[in-house]
Amino acid sequence: MIQFIHCFKWHLQRGSLLLMLLAFCASGYAQVSGTIVDDKSGEPLIGASILVQGTSTGVISGVTGEFSLDAKQGDVLKISYIGYADKTVTIGAETNLLIRLTEGLSFDEIVVVGYASQTRGDITGSVASVDMSEALKAPVVNAAEALQGRVTGVTVVVSGRPGDAPKINVRGFGTSNNTNPLYIIDGVQTDDPNALNNLSTSDIQQMNVLKDAAAAIYGARASNGVVIITTKGGGYNMARPEIAFSAFTGSSNISNVPGLLNTQQHADMIWQSQLNDGGTPEHPQYGNGSTPLLPSSIQGYTRVVSYAPTTFAPAGQFSAATNGNGTNWVDAITQSAPVSSVNFSIANGEKNGKYYLSAGYLKRDGIIQQTGFERGNVKMNSEFKLGNKLKVGEHINVAFTNTKLGVNEAIENASRMTPLLPVLDDDGEYTGVAGPGLSNTRNPAAQLYRSRNDYNKRLSIFGDVYMSYQIIEGLTAKTVLAGGFNTFNSRYFTALDPEHGEPISTNTLAEQNQTAYNWNWTNTLNYQKSIGDHYINAIGGVEALKDQGKGTGISRQGYLFEDPNFYLLSNGSGAPNIDYVYSGYNTLFSIFGSVNYSFQDKYFATVTLRQDESSRFIGDNKRDIFPSLSAGWDVTKEAFFPQGSVLSRLKLKGSWGQLGNQTLPANNPTVNISNLNEALANYSFNGSSISTGALLSQVGNPDLKWETSVSTNFGIELGLLNNKLIINAEFYNIDTKDLITRDFSLISSTAIDAGAPLVNLGDIRNRGVDLELGYADKTAGGFGYDISFYVSRYKNEVISLINDAPVAGRQDLRNGAVTRTEVGGEMSYFYGRNITGLDDNGRFVYEDVNNDGVVNDDDRTNIGSPHPDFTYGINLKANYKGFDASVFFTGSQGNEIYNYNKVFTDFGLFFNGNRSTRVLDAWTPTNTDTDVPALTGSYPLEEASANTYFIEDGSYFRLKNLQVGYTLPDAISERANIQSVRIYIQGSNLLTITNYSGYDPEVISYDNLSLGVDRQIYPLSKGITFGTNIRF
Amino acid sequence: MKKKIFGFMLITSILITACSDEFTTSPAIGALSDEALKNEVGVNLLLTGAYSSLNGVRANSLGNEWGVAPDNWIMDVLSDDAHKGSTDDDQADLKELELMNWATGNGYFYAKWGVVFAGINRANAVISLINSIPDGDFSAQLAEARFLRGHFNFELQKMWGNVPYISDENYTNTEFNQPNSGAIWTEVEADFQYAVDNLPSSQGEIGRPTSWAAKAFLGKTYLYQSKWTEASTLLNDVVDNGPYSLLPDYVDNFRAAGESGPESVFAVQFTADDGQSYNGNIGGALNFPNPGPFGACCGFYQPTQDLLNAYQTGTDGLPLLDTYNQQDVTSDFGIASADAFTPYAGSLDPRSDYTVGRRGIDYNGYGAHPGQDWIRATPQDYSGPYLPKKNVYWDGEEDVNQGTGGWGQQLSGINYYIMRYADVLLMAAEAAAETSDLATALANVNEVRARAKTSSYMQAVDGSGDAANYVVEPYVAFADQDIARKAVRFERRLELGMEGHRLFDLRRWDIAEQVMTDYFANETRTITNFGPKASAYQGIYDIFPIPLSAIDLSGGALTQNPGY
Repeated sequence: MIQFIHCFKWHLQRGSLLLMLLAFCASGYAQVSGTIVDDKSGEPLIGASILVQGTSTGVISGVTGEFSLDAKQGDVLKISYIGYADKTVTIGAETNLLIRLTEGLSFDEIVVVGYASQTRGDITGSVASVDMSEALKAPVVNAAEALQGRVTGVTVVVSGRPGDAPKINVRGFGTSNNTNPLYIIDGVQTDDPNALNNLSTSDIQQMNVLKDAAAAIYGARASNGVVIITTKGGGYNMARPEIAFSAFTGSSNISNVPGLLNTQQHADMIWQSQLNDGGTPEHPQYGNGSTPLLPSSIQGYTRVVSYAPTTFAPAGQFSAATNGNGTNWVDAITQSAPVSSVNFSIANGEKNGKYYLSAGYLKRDGIIQQTGFERGNVKMNSEFKLGNKLKVGEHINVAFTNTKLGVNEAIENASRMTPLLPVLDDDGEYTGVAGPGLSNTRNPAAQLYRSRNDYNKRLSIFGDVYMSYQIIEGLTAKTVLAGGFNTFNSRYFTALDPEHGEPISTNTLAEQNQTAYNWNWTNTLNYQKSIGDHYINAIGGVEALKDQGKGTGISRQGYLFEDPNFYLLSNGSGAPNIDYVYSGYNTLFSIFGSVNYSFQDKYFATVTLRQDESSRFIGDNKRDIFPSLSAGWDVTKEAFFPQGSVLSRLKLKGSWGQLGNQTLPANNPTVNISNLNEALANYSFNGSSISTGALLSQVGNPDLKWETSVSTNFGIELGLLNNKLIINAEFYNIDTKDLITRDFSLISSTAIDAGAPLVNLGDIRNRGVDLELGYADKTAGGFGYDISFYVSRYKNEVISLINDAPVAGRQDLRNGAVTRTEVGGEMSYFYGRNITGLDDNGRFVYEDVNNDGVVNDDDRTNIGSPHPDFTYGINLKANYKGFDASVFFTGSQGNEIYNYNKVFTDFGLFFNGNRSTRVLDAWTPTNTDTDVPALTGSYPLEEASANTYFIEDGSYFRLKNLQVGYTLPDAISERANIQSVRIYIQGSNLLTITNYSGYDPEVISYDNLSLGVDRQIYPLSKGITFGTNIRF
Repeated sequence: MKKKIFGFMLITSILITACSDEFTTSPAIGALSDEALKNEVGVNLLLTGAYSSLNGVRANSLGNEWGVAPDNWIMDVLSDDAHKGSTDDDQADLKELELMNWATGNGYFYAKWGVVFAGINRANAVISLINSIPDGDFSAQLAEARFLRGHFNFELQKMWGNVPYISDENYTNTEFNQPNSGAIWTEVEADFQYAVDNLPSSQGEIGRPTSWAAKAFLGKTYLYQSKWTEASTLLNDVVDNGPYSLLPDYVDNFRAAGESGPESVFAVQFTADDGQSYNGNIGGALNFPNPGPFGACCGFYQPTQDLLNAYQTGTDGLPLLDTYNQQDVTSDFGIASADAFTPYAGSLDPRSDYTVGRRGIDYNGYGAHPGQDWIRATPQDYSGPYLPKKNVYWDGEEDVNQGTGGWGQQLSGINYYIMRYADVLLMAAEAAAETSDLATALANVNEVRARAKTSSYMQAVDGSGDAANYVVEPYVAFADQDIARKAVRFERRLELGMEGHRLFDLRRWDIAEQVMTDYFANETRTITNFGPKASAYQGIYDIFPIPLSAIDLSGGALTQNPGY
């Protein structure tokens, strides 16, 4: 920041900012205003674009469909809106226009694609727009969720956990790092999808995704794609303020619970295991008979009665009655979760100023107890004209959020906890496994309850101020100063757990405080000009960006009272502990330019060049240039194109470009970093006082350079039957070169315990096709319908790797990694042993892959792929009179999932714990036609290591959203002095068809080298909400 | 108009030229650069960091979090000295190790492997740094770093047999993937020899090795290779001329009173610091009775019946070398604390009740061990009725020894002896016995036994005198080399039981398979469900498997040990 102020001052002193303060003269244009409405319903259309043909003058309609701009008589206005046919209007004497649009397809819609806008028909790159009005019908918390199934080529995996950002991948898997696309929210740039948690989705006007070289204008940050979000604004010259209100409420429940054993089945499982092991069955809870006996209360039940020293109650003091079939622990930790939201907005504008103000509140509880997300936010966008040439404006968004995370392992513990144990004992206290034969799982209901006072609060302020000045007709200078400020503070209290078999002896309060600031300053010069058949739209600019953060985590033990009113670090009795501290920043400085040229609206070309300089690299690697080229041909406009044929539109386009990636999990990856470290480097030479030590914490790689993607895209846009049927197809090839990842083979297990360096690991190729089909029509009787279908497919191949050595995925799984990435294969395929059957004792038999007569680790092989054959989305919409309905399906086909949860539920890892109902079909001498191995108390570890038992088909077909709405007839609305009222009922995730046996086939991956591994995921919920949208 | 355009261009060009170079440089805040370390302060900081890895905690930990324990309690579990403890379900991966269901992916192996290499390379970091500084005398630090590297490589060698050697040149060039083509004894010897030649004979701080410690470690290195003469020479030198002596009281080795005393040759210096005890024994946090007198975590590391049996003595006060398993010291396994139990009345070596916690005998000052009530393992589990003692602090000494971890677990401040003088005496005795110097063997063994005899004995909780019938006497003579060898080996078990050495003794004596097979059979007499749960010991278990993940990450440099 100091750097920025320094620069800023420097410019001020030299008067170079004078430009921004320059005076200007008036022009002779008149003010034209009007309203854009749907021709059938008369509903105002918000966000339609109105452009004076042949100029750069254009506006977007406000919340009542109103607009106002400077134009003179004889000018032609082009009006376009997503979902409606384009319209042109020549300005006559009337300066207050009512413009009616008919549903259809638009090619003149203004799409914000970079530092400037383009009309859709002119676009030569791969740019997808989200139909926000449709996407936001579902109760979306994070705007990125709206991309799921609605943008072909974009994979979105939505977590069920409230407050979690969805995981987004654009066109296959190129980088192993952060795969988040760059989000541009008005002027603010971020690749943190959590930033979207701070934005109310109802404030979004437009959301566009740049998938190919079109993103090159964002250079070094563009290789994961760019999502551009434009928020709503007011309109100039509005007749009156427009007020909108929307609200929804509803609730959701867990949608799928994998089967777990009940008490009788659990006891039988224990008996069968012991019989299989050659022993005589006996169990501290189930007796020692020939068949197990279910106890009426827990045998040997106890709990802690006093601490310091920790003392358990003597046998018999406490009791816990068991219940019939036992406890369904998943039921015990899930809940029916309410969701509610209200949003209020007001927009207005007069001759020289306009504004949009909104406030919203959303609360969504999670289906797992003590989880949820809450947000209150205020948004203010405004713009002022100082004369006819100078505009100043701002967007500001203030949000306060609180995320309650519960306990991550609760769902895993619910799968492992013995069903015999009741949730509460006879005194109403939580039960635990302190008694014999109950395994060692923590009571997940108690864990969640004790997390009830934990929070993760975040105050986020972001936005921008901008000023644009029209230097001459067609030439505009714009400066944008955008920034974000985030404070995060969290509290975690680890309470005593007197019921647990390993009770902790002291409670702990842990607090975290983090602040993050970022700013970027962008100066652009934009020139637009039509000369005869030639149209040119050029932009050049410079940009500086800085991201910085600082944080501390402190914990302290020994709280006398477990009451949140005492949860201050000063109230602990132990010595305070600094858990972590960090501080750092990174910067980026860029120069860019782009020229769009079109001839007769028929031939289009774009050239873009950007140079980025990043603080993350050193020397010659600091700076890199990212060029791109694209071209398009609107064949329809050719004279030879037959008019009135079935084919009503044909456009071909192609692009090539280089995109970069420098978003790394380190600010200083090029240098070795050693640190003082209390926990890891200090030593007590005399057994008491402590000497300070240091250790190498991060190995640097001075040669690290940008990761670049070379992206080639060919597209064809077809319109048939008067553009009722559209077909868009794009074919792409993306070669990601010098993929950046941590090299765990360089800093391998035989190295020092430092963080592995970030290296340019190798090259990856993604090749694929994105296809979009749509058909929309309206019958004479007023029945309108719209069907659209999105499908995408990619093929991923690893072209080269450093040292050609295979790379393993996440290392923190029991028994080692289960994925591997290797030259010639796909990224992150599943790697393990191939089970060919069960032997005479019901144990796995593995394939001797290398035919050496011995089965060992060398017989691991490719056992599955996390990559789908294709993913798809289907949207069906219909409306008739006041009714509207939409159905949205999404799915994935042909991918496999590594169901890691089976380690706990299918093997005797925790012998007394629970198992999946799959083990009811376990091998026995009389049940040999099965693939479930024999039950045992002592499992061969290979069985729970990577092998085909864990691989499942991950294909699914899901009814993601179903909505039916009704708009009250105008007569009724008008009587209440309301412009329009729409009410709706909506259902999410009502149906999923899948063979996957886990909670949810939509698996969020840990990283791109460990795709498709299902572990501790938050279960999916299905829910119903009721809502209303009212405009006053 | 042109002026305005020019003005804009001016801003742009100024932004480009004036700010970009400085603007796009960001320092690593709070970090020490390689350059910043190139001085005495830097060398000492990294050297302390190398010592710190003695405590078993590394950054970016690998595998199972308990597998790193620096006191090698895991290794006792893999021998006939200890059971895993707690319920069978608890730490299932260790259960499978103890029950001889070994697999290359077991997280315990990987954890230990990882922390040993962290230690080797933190020492390499110091050596590499010293080599990069042109001026100054860092010979003292270099000798300490090489001693530490020798120690870590010794650990590596004794566990995995065929191991890669990562030199300081490899470190400097980040060439960490080296082949494991056999033993690295030569390199271990070179480091210890350098330490012998360059370390001072005494140190201001007790936790730093002296040239005497280096001699003892070099002697041990020879011993492990059956280089008896070389071992003898060095170890006898330490015994005859070194500064060490046995503490008067055996138990003081494990209490505050004897910490860092004259018996300590080289120890992991643990301490119970304020807040989280990062310098306490984190890897041993599970090894306290649960439930028990201090309700700590977690009931692991239970001594075996077999070990307790070994402390039986004959009427002559000598151990029952061949017959100790013909009768069991009375076990309360399966007997509730409320039910009557009569402790063993036969004669026992007094070290028994300082090594094995058994019912009816005082437990480190916390009163009589009541049996099952303090044992987390149930009779359905296989871990038996005994409690560990040496790693558990004594009543009244909590202040200096009871550290706390992040979830309230106990991080003991009791030092762990990588080597103490009794070990040196017995190694010298062993080398002597192997070279037929029976007199020296006898003298050394008897010195150890004499201290056991003259130590204070465990007292009965009711104040009635000795807690049991303690009888221990020196050997009169070793009739032949076989008897001497047997006596020395047995004495090691008695003296050093539950100190992490047993497994490696069994291996180097090449008797692991026989001993473990006998042990499974003997142990099952009292813990009836142990035998049926365990698989047979196999010869390949004499060295650990190279961890699967290590092989996968090595880019083809590492090959698996035979048989896995």
